[in-house]
Amino acid sequence: MRSHATHCLLFYICERSGLVSDLERNDIEIMLDDVGMVYDGADGREVQALTSVTMDIHKGEFISLLGPSGCGKTTLLRIIADLLQPTSGKVLVGGETPKNARLKRRYGMVFQSAVLYDWRTVVKNIELPLEITHQSKKERHERALKMLDLVGLSDFADHYPRQLSGGMQQRVGIARALALQPEILLMDEPFSALDEFTREKLHIDLLKIWRKTNKTIIFVTHNIQESVFLSDRVCVLSPHPGRLSAVIDIDLPRPRTMDIRDTPEFTAFVSKVRNSFEGV
Amino acid sequence: MKKIKRILTSKIFVTLIWIVALIVVWELFAFHVEQTKRTPENIQPHLSGIVDSLTSSRKINGSQTALQMVMENAKATLSRAGIGYIIGIAAGSVLALFMSLSGVIEKLAFPYLMLIQLIPILGMAPIINAITGDIAKSRIIIAAILTFYPVAANTLAGFKSVQKEKHELMYSYAANKFQLYTKTMIPACIPYFFTGLKISAPMAITASILVDTLQGGIGLGCLLSQSLKGAMTRYVFWDIVFFSAVIGILSFYLMGVLETILCPYKRIGKKE
Repeated sequence: MRSHATHCLLFYICERSGLVSDLERNDIEIMLDDVGMVYDGADGREVQALTSVTMDIHKGEFISLLGPSGCGKTTLLRIIADLLQPTSGKVLVGGETPKNARLKRRYGMVFQSAVLYDWRTVVKNIELPLEITHQSKKERHERALKMLDLVGLSDFADHYPRQLSGGMQQRVGIARALALQPEILLMDEPFSALDEFTREKLHIDLLKIWRKTNKTIIFVTHNIQESVFLSDRVCVLSPHPGRLSAVIDIDLPRPRTMDIRDTPEFTAFVSKVRNSFEGV
Repeated sequence: MKKIKRILTSKIFVTLIWIVALIVVWELFAFHVEQTKRTPENIQPHLSGIVDSLTSSRKINGSQTALQMVMENAKATLSRAGIGYIIGIAAGSVLALFMSLSGVIEKLAFPYLMLIQLIPILGMAPIINAITGDIAKSRIIIAAILTFYPVAANTLAGFKSVQKEKHELMYSYAANKFQLYTKTMIPACIPYFFTGLKISAPMAITASILVDTLQGGIGLGCLLSQSLKGAMTRYVFWDIVFFSAVIGILSFYLMGVLETILCPYKRIGKKE
């Protein structure tokens, strides 16, 4: 009897610490199985936004969804985020439906604009998700300051968003997305509104943050260089109808620095990705 | 040169120019009227005459000076305008909240909202008076109705202006409806709400005065019409005109000041 109880206790501890579930999940964070999305167009015809996307995304992987506008990359991200329901196929996030994953707050969202709250200071912006999950005031503040430190904006805690540059605002957006310690970071063209210099700096910073936090990152972009520089794998999506036309492994060494952009290997990957587009 | 330009475009300087220009134009007309009419104070008296009438200690109705009379009636009118204003704000913002919460309520209420704006409310004063059976109450109700529309319409516009991404952000946090409103929607619509307050504050005051003129009793409008009918010196009329203009402008600015106090982020953003 006693040994059974001990066993149960051990199992319980393992499960609480995530050991068992990790083994069960077998390293796959997100599973997309024949996912399709059909919209009703304005003229009454059906629009095929996304057809038959099947792929696995691993834990801790940096994945880019790359493609021109209308290829369904944002649609795919929104399906994973539970903002859209696919009209066919199945999505599993850690073995669960996207809805359950969202309710368990496993997603951090970063948008094209920073979507900060004007009326809150930087630190209060990062505390927002922690307020929603009813964390204590002290806990909230400590966590928010830690997140600010992670994105290198500790000196700006008490500034208001409109006092910050676009790049700094987007960093606050990333810090806010990390505040609830989600496993998955969903980023929808987060740097496309920034200038080239700021963007390159944020690329380096994002990779540092990724290495420190071990998040799974799904990064939507229409910039080929950006996707090659950041990702482990680039998912190339082509339009009319939106479909996954290639998945390309980027075997560039890590940690990656700015110089890697000048290497022939980088250029080779860029042209490989470019050549894999269909019907653009 | 730069410094001179900065002074010339500064707010205080512009305001000063406006005031001086108004005084000059007023006095030019007053001179003209003085030369051509027998009773210039009926058309346009000199500003000095108006100031004199306010400062003189002559009793005009046996017991009160002009200033005391204006103040006593202003108290009645402004308190009614104030009560009506607050009722209108409460009703308008609560309706906007319900319209934002429920599409059905929005569809049902919107035509009535438009209707209220289209009906000449002041013309309905006698009817409202008949319904309430009380002069003071009917004036409060009219001030409230006039306040109601700008507050409701602007607050609703504020709720609708919240970025789609903010909704999605709250959705991704699995926030409930109460949190969505307290953390995102209501704070986001505060500037719009204040726009409504700024529009309706002078309106509530003007409406109270106008409704006064239609009915008897105590109030700035009553005093105004008595003065116009010759029951007392015509200068009382001019005193009231200027007094209510100043109060109307002050009420607008008061709302602006209130907004800057309540929204510190606006204050800081402007300086940078």
